[in-house]
Amino acid sequence: MSDRMLTISMEINGTPTDPVDLPEDLMLLEYLQEYLNLTGTRYGCGQGVCRACAVIHDAPDGPKVVPACITGVAWANGRSFRTVEGHATRDDQGAITQLSAIQQAFLDHFSFQCSYCTPGFVASATALVERLETAPVARGDVEEVVLKALNGNICRCTGYVRYLEAARDVILSTPGLTTEEVAISDTAT
Amino acid sequence: MRRILLIIVGLFAFATIAAVFIYVVFTGPGDIPPASRDLANLSAQDRFEMEQQGEYVARAGDCVACHKSSDGLSLAGGTPMETPVGTVYGSNITPSRDHGIADYSADDLYRAMVYGITPEGTHLYPAMPYTSYHAISRADNDALWVWLMAQNPVDRESRPAEMMFPFNLRPLLAFWNLIYRPDPPDQPIAGLTDSAPDDDPSERGRYLVEVLGHCSECHTPRNFAYARKTDAHFEGTVIEGALAPDITPAGLARRGWNADDLAQFLGTGLSPQGVMTFRMFPVLNHSTKYMTPEDLQAVAHYLSKDVPPSEPPAHRPEAIAQNSEGHQLYLGLCAGCHGSDGEGRPFGSIPLQGNTSAMFDNPLNLVRVIREGIPARHLTGDQRMQEMPAFDDTLDDDDLTALVNYLRQRWGGHDAPLAASQVINTPG
Repeated sequence: MSDRMLTISMEINGTPTDPVDLPEDLMLLEYLQEYLNLTGTRYGCGQGVCRACAVIHDAPDGPKVVPACITGVAWANGRSFRTVEGHATRDDQGAITQLSAIQQAFLDHFSFQCSYCTPGFVASATALVERLETAPVARGDVEEVVLKALNGNICRCTGYVRYLEAARDVILSTPGLTTEEVAISDTAT
Repeated sequence: MRRILLIIVGLFAFATIAAVFIYVVFTGPGDIPPASRDLANLSAQDRFEMEQQGEYVARAGDCVACHKSSDGLSLAGGTPMETPVGTVYGSNITPSRDHGIADYSADDLYRAMVYGITPEGTHLYPAMPYTSYHAISRADNDALWVWLMAQNPVDRESRPAEMMFPFNLRPLLAFWNLIYRPDPPDQPIAGLTDSAPDDDPSERGRYLVEVLGHCSECHTPRNFAYARKTDAHFEGTVIEGALAPDITPAGLARRGWNADDLAQFLGTGLSPQGVMTFRMFPVLNHSTKYMTPEDLQAVAHYLSKDVPPSEPPAHRPEAIAQNSEGHQLYLGLCAGCHGSDGEGRPFGSIPLQGNTSAMFDNPLNLVRVIREGIPARHLTGDQRMQEMPAFDDTLDDDDLTALVNYLRQRWGGHDAPLAASQVINTPG
């Protein structure tokens, strides 16, 4: 680890963090876990492939999923992120009063067993739902769009089908995320 | 006035007659040497041995990279090759009676390989590298023919070339051949199947590189007629949107390559200088990884001419202060895999110290790799590299410029930064 330091602050789950001096090559995941005690984001492969560490980056042009294990604080500095701790609604004491639609659907569908991959799946599926709020897709294309958005997340208990079904159900039952237009997949030859 | 008109018509008629005369008399195939053995009466053992040899010739000649179909059938044709004047598709070279080369004799194959002319007299586009294959030994040609004829036929039509006018007029290729097609050597060169065990390995290296491997078809710049510039052999050029680098002995040595690195790179797709990308990756997959260690050494020594490599440009930590914007981007987006000091990770990501792409004067390959990423690579044996993500959506033009300059300055031996316009509008 580098002994050069950078003064870093960012916004995590809607709250600006206090500026703190960090090693310039610290990864975002280590910052979340070791400095902010946000341990829900998981360390999987450590090389940005399995997406257990996926968090949402709220970019100016919309939410994007980034792998926190290989994204450095040098880039995260000044930007805004959401982790798995930030999706549910909480009361004044910080206790969860309502899970997000995606989180609830994953529970209802028994999507996971060990749950190690779940925070990453929540991030990918939530970012997808939010993208569809501004750019809805035809109902017939939902299956394909869900697969594309979640395909990179790896689950070793093989919960894939239930994750995909849960995300599909949320999208199809939420008004405004889909249109009745003819699906691209139906027009393609 | 009428007289001038007559002169013009006369000159035109003369030129036409001369062109037809040249076409008929001078542009046909040259001599075809007799077959290396009686191919009609091969014993089962001979046929088996020739098939084995022919498969190796096909590997060394990298036939499959261009002649495979988009759905993966080895010789069924269809791989596009994009040129500035249109697209040519690899043809079906399975022994299919209707769509392939079932009717080819070994002589016919030689005519196509050496002169670029089909049995019907049609001229092939030089995308088929007969300009390199022209020196193939008759014995290698015959082994290749035996192997090709033993493959499963695939009844699928070859896709016609889509070339712009006037390049779609194939007879014109006869005149191109007249100027640019080398003749086969007067003294036949020993090929892979007819060289003696004690033959000079450097001659085998030359044959593998210059003839079967047809390396110069991509690595040599082309002139206005799209023929290779013979005075710039292996000096590197941009082809199909990527830089095929300078592989002259001096160029390789300047970027720190020695013969062992080259042999390792060609055999495994990976060396201290980097991992195979763009159109070189199919070359590994279909050709070089099947070559024997001895042949890889022969190729590597022929290419490097054993010129001692210079030390790769030293890691320049001063780039950190010189380009702090690039340094922050590197730490934030690259260092997670490539390491804070560019050390890389085995089976994951390449080290940047000594990386060949950072050293090129032309930043094209570096820019494309950062923008587009690289798919996970299953190399040879248990060697593999993880997927590199694409950063096109993450980096705006200024960021990309800063990062590319940083990589070039810290590990590529470049001091002066490129302007954004030089990075973003890289000639491709």
